Amino acid sequence: MTHKLGRFAAALLATTIAGSAFAQDGSLTIVLSEELDVVEPCMASRSNIGRVVLQNIAETVTELVPGEGLKPRLATSWEDMGGGTWRFKLREGVSFSDGSTFDANDVAHSIARTTGEAIVCEIGAKFFGGMALTTDVVDDYTIDITADPAQPILPLLMSTMAVVPAETPMDSFVKTPIGTGPYTFDEYNVGQNIKLSARDDYWGDAPAVTTATYLFRSDSAVRAAMVATGEADIAPNIALQDATDAGMDFSYPNSETVYLRVDNETPPLNDVRVRKALNYAVDREAFVGTILANGTLLATGMTPPSTIGYNHDLKPFPYDPAKAKELLAEAKADGVPTDTKITLIGRTNNFGNVLETMEALLQMYQDAGFNMELKMYEVAEWVDFYSKPFAEDRGPQLVEAQHDNANGDPVFSMYFKYHTEGLQSGAADPKIDEMIAAATAATGAEREQLWSDLFAYIHGESVTDVLLFHMVGFSRVNTRLDFEPTIKTNSELQLAQIGFK
Amino acid sequence: MAYTDPQDALPDVLPDAPPAWVSVLRMLWRDKFALCAAIFLLIVICCAIFGPMLLEDQAMRNNLRGRNAPPFDFSKDWKLWLGGDALGRPLLARIIVAAQNTIMVAAGAVICSVLIGTTLGLIAGYTTNTTSQVIMRLADVIMSFPSLLLAVIVLYMLSPSVGNIIIVLAITRIPVYLRTTRAEVLEIRGRMFVQAAQVMGASTLRIVFRHILPVVFPTLVTIATLDFAFVMLAESSLSFLGIGIQPPEITWGLMVAQGRSYLTNAWWLSFMPGLAIILTTLSLNLLSNWMRTALDPVQRWRLEISRTKND
Amino acid sequence: MKSFLGKRAVASAISLIALVILVFFLSRLTGDPTSLYLPVDASLESRAQFRELHGLNDPLIVQFFHYIGDLARFDFGDSIRRSEPALDAVLRAFVWTLQLAVITMTLVTIAAIVVGSLAAFRVGGLFDRIATFFSLIGSSAPDFWIAIVAIVIFSVNLGWVPTSGTGTVWHWILPISVLFIRPFGLILQIVRGSMISALSSAYVKTARAKGVRNKSIIFIHALRNAMLPVVTVIGDQAAALLNGAVVVETVFGFPGVGKLMIDSILQRDFTVVLAAIFVTAVAIFVMNILIDILYAVLDPRIRY
Repeated sequence: MTHKLGRFAAALLATTIAGSAFAQDGSLTIVLSEELDVVEPCMASRSNIGRVVLQNIAETVTELVPGEGLKPRLATSWEDMGGGTWRFKLREGVSFSDGSTFDANDVAHSIARTTGEAIVCEIGAKFFGGMALTTDVVDDYTIDITADPAQPILPLLMSTMAVVPAETPMDSFVKTPIGTGPYTFDEYNVGQNIKLSARDDYWGDAPAVTTATYLFRSDSAVRAAMVATGEADIAPNIALQDATDAGMDFSYPNSETVYLRVDNETPPLNDVRVRKALNYAVDREAFVGTILANGTLLATGMTPPSTIGYNHDLKPFPYDPAKAKELLAEAKADGVPTDTKITLIGRTNNFGNVLETMEALLQMYQDAGFNMELKMYEVAEWVDFYSKPFAEDRGPQLVEAQHDNANGDPVFSMYFKYHTEGLQSGAADPKIDEMIAAATAATGAEREQLWSDLFAYIHGESVTDVLLFHMVGFSRVNTRLDFEPTIKTNSELQLAQIGFK
Repeated sequence: MAYTDPQDALPDVLPDAPPAWVSVLRMLWRDKFALCAAIFLLIVICCAIFGPMLLEDQAMRNNLRGRNAPPFDFSKDWKLWLGGDALGRPLLARIIVAAQNTIMVAAGAVICSVLIGTTLGLIAGYTTNTTSQVIMRLADVIMSFPSLLLAVIVLYMLSPSVGNIIIVLAITRIPVYLRTTRAEVLEIRGRMFVQAAQVMGASTLRIVFRHILPVVFPTLVTIATLDFAFVMLAESSLSFLGIGIQPPEITWGLMVAQGRSYLTNAWWLSFMPGLAIILTTLSLNLLSNWMRTALDPVQRWRLEISRTKND
Repeated sequence: MKSFLGKRAVASAISLIALVILVFFLSRLTGDPTSLYLPVDASLESRAQFRELHGLNDPLIVQFFHYIGDLARFDFGDSIRRSEPALDAVLRAFVWTLQLAVITMTLVTIAAIVVGSLAAFRVGGLFDRIATFFSLIGSSAPDFWIAIVAIVIFSVNLGWVPTSGTGTVWHWILPISVLFIRPFGLILQIVRGSMISALSSAYVKTARAKGVRNKSIIFIHALRNAMLPVVTVIGDQAAALLNGAVVVETVFGFPGVGKLMIDSILQRDFTVVLAAIFVTAVAIFVMNILIDILYAVLDPRIRY
């Protein structure tokens, strides 16, 4: 009891003297938006799992550093051997937190496990679908990875692959993740907290943060309050409304793009003039600084502007309701059934203020003369509208969606969203299909140019969808920390990059 | 609404002269709390009937520049006196328009659950053991069936319309009325006057409706009036989770849910519709408490004595 | 009494089975967990693989018999989301919920009975007016308001208690206070109403006429008789708490069964939904049996 009171006194002190009670000992508390269902490294592409596990516990072969590009992590170098094979030289003198030595067999095992049949791994499903990976261990620190079909960006793909020891079971998720990272996974008190502590035998520099505790609160106002009282040091994700303190709150591009997927096959949406009218009718600028945060960018492409090949020459559609009406009238004169009721489908709780955004969009469309109704669905139902197979008698639909691509290459987006076979694609345009195939197979400057052309074609000629915004997120950080969130904060939170002032 | 019909509550006990409604009004006039409550409820009912006709367009019109306009700025249009919401729509107008759906959902759900629950409770309390067992165990099942799951099931298969929300909320509230009624029936059944009536050969129906129901009724009304608030708030949490009524339809509960994320910097967004819920519940309850006293000849003296003292 | 308990146990077991069957089939009508579990970009092959692994490809009736077979061995299956036995997840959360419910309902019961009977003693008096007014406001206000305003005032501004979480006694103060308000208001109103009736009923008058002058005896006598509906409503409110106090759990980060159930329903994690309903149902059934026994204790005329 005295112990408990003591901790309470410490908490009280922290609230009054802004966290000075913790400052000396290098411990850190992070408050996440939801409890972790699993702590399995091969599921680390989920935001909150990634924020705990990725690069803290389990490291990747390569690493995409914002602003710098692809960097070595567990691999020191890589080269294209031709025929879809890449050779990776691995770092020597690296050990796992269980004491075993890291070598090429661990990488081979991790790839087999992540893409295997016995468990469904999100990283496997998300980044390695539609290809077969084979590995060949050349020696302890050299591995050949072959992809079929060949992947020009295999080193980039490997920046998603979290490496686990070769002893990790193939057919079940781990309860205590083991990796080569600077921290060990100490305990998970389900429902309460996760604790990590720094390793002595990490191959890299010793981090400033020695122990970290993760807490879980679903309410954004509470997360913000916890940092304000000193109960937590970092809340990686808070709502726009709660980011009210310029001294503690940071905004960062969170790699999410909001758009309306347009069903290009169903009249009247199969007419390009109608799709253009949909774009002219939206006053995108009116959202920024009102419903959405200052710093939100108007989108002209599906991926964030930091992605290679993003076409910076494209201009967002201006707000021009007169033009929209004109285009609609033109289409109508040609017999396009522009009076058909269009369903605007939104996903509840998709991002902060999604409801307000959808209601504002609805009104803009109605003002421009569209016959439209709004339907909001929770995710389970919304997915039925967003992903194929689509219902037969669906009628014309616009589906609001938010797409996340923090991986630096459009390949992670374009096939799914625009290819005729893409699961969420509303388009069936052979030209787009060809362009995607060409860009996917290309490398270097050519690849960038081909992606850039594709963005231009989708935005300017085919007007496949209604691209809206590149979103920003907010983090609240205790002033005693030396840390600024980046585009990566949406998917990971490297404790080793955090310092104390 | 159930409580407005005193005939159900206490048949045969009102004195003949003067006309019943005159003496009711007179007694209402004497209790100023109840009077205010009655007036407020009248206003709400008027809003519910006429609001959507008169104000629908203004309540739906966005104005992003007038976003989160603070309340009590009386230099503005009256519709903005309670402030503007996140899209700059006037809160007062929205509250008035939303009254219709809200009252329909709340009254619909409460009345349905009271009627079904009470009927089943009377049957369970007054019939054979087996029937009673079946009904009571059914109530157990409903009680342990999470309302959210029920909502997801109903609303996944059907659309989230007012009618379907009423069904979901009504079903989840049945057990409390059922169990309350049955417990009271078990007790009253043993009382002298019921046994006397039985001996005198009164039919079961007559005993139930003439002797038992009037005794149970006041408790049911008390629960029902508070359930009004509960149902509106339950509907609010369903909307919040994306399963309840969705825009462009509006209810007070939906407005409360929509304002939730603004609680710390634009408190009026959820406070104003929440206040409407509180005031409605408060009024209903004050009125039902008053009615309970005023219409019961055994207790009417309280009202009169307390008034003469205070006057 | 023994035969009553025996019969009730059998009847409750039957309704428990009915509940499981009902939930099993109804919950499957709400969609496929595959598209919720996997990222939207997941290929059709990984979707098929997921369905195969979790037995979602079998006909529903086959899945059902598998489930019942496992259930007979008290195996509720593994959670799809959490890759651990569903029952483990539920029981871990239910312990928290049970503590929260028991503490809150005890406080509520005591407070509501005391305040409610005092209010009924002087109907229309100042105490009655104040108690009624505030309890009604409290019980009809949205609970997240109260929760968040309480955090802002008592944690952020005053620094008296931690904002949220578990660990010390202090962490329990805000959640319990917020949970207390609604049932308190409702039960207080029921106590007040029944006490007014009881105090003016024939037998209390008879007691008075017979010369029982002692106020407290009259009071206790009336209270005992006013308790039937009170006990029922307490049961109703306790059942709601046993099903989980979702808002309080969400806001205060309390790892109870309400949040678990909501998440599992929204994510279509059927095994956890079923296990959670099973556990809470058992608790509610037991509570209802206790309440029915309490009826007979309070009023000897009630027999089973």
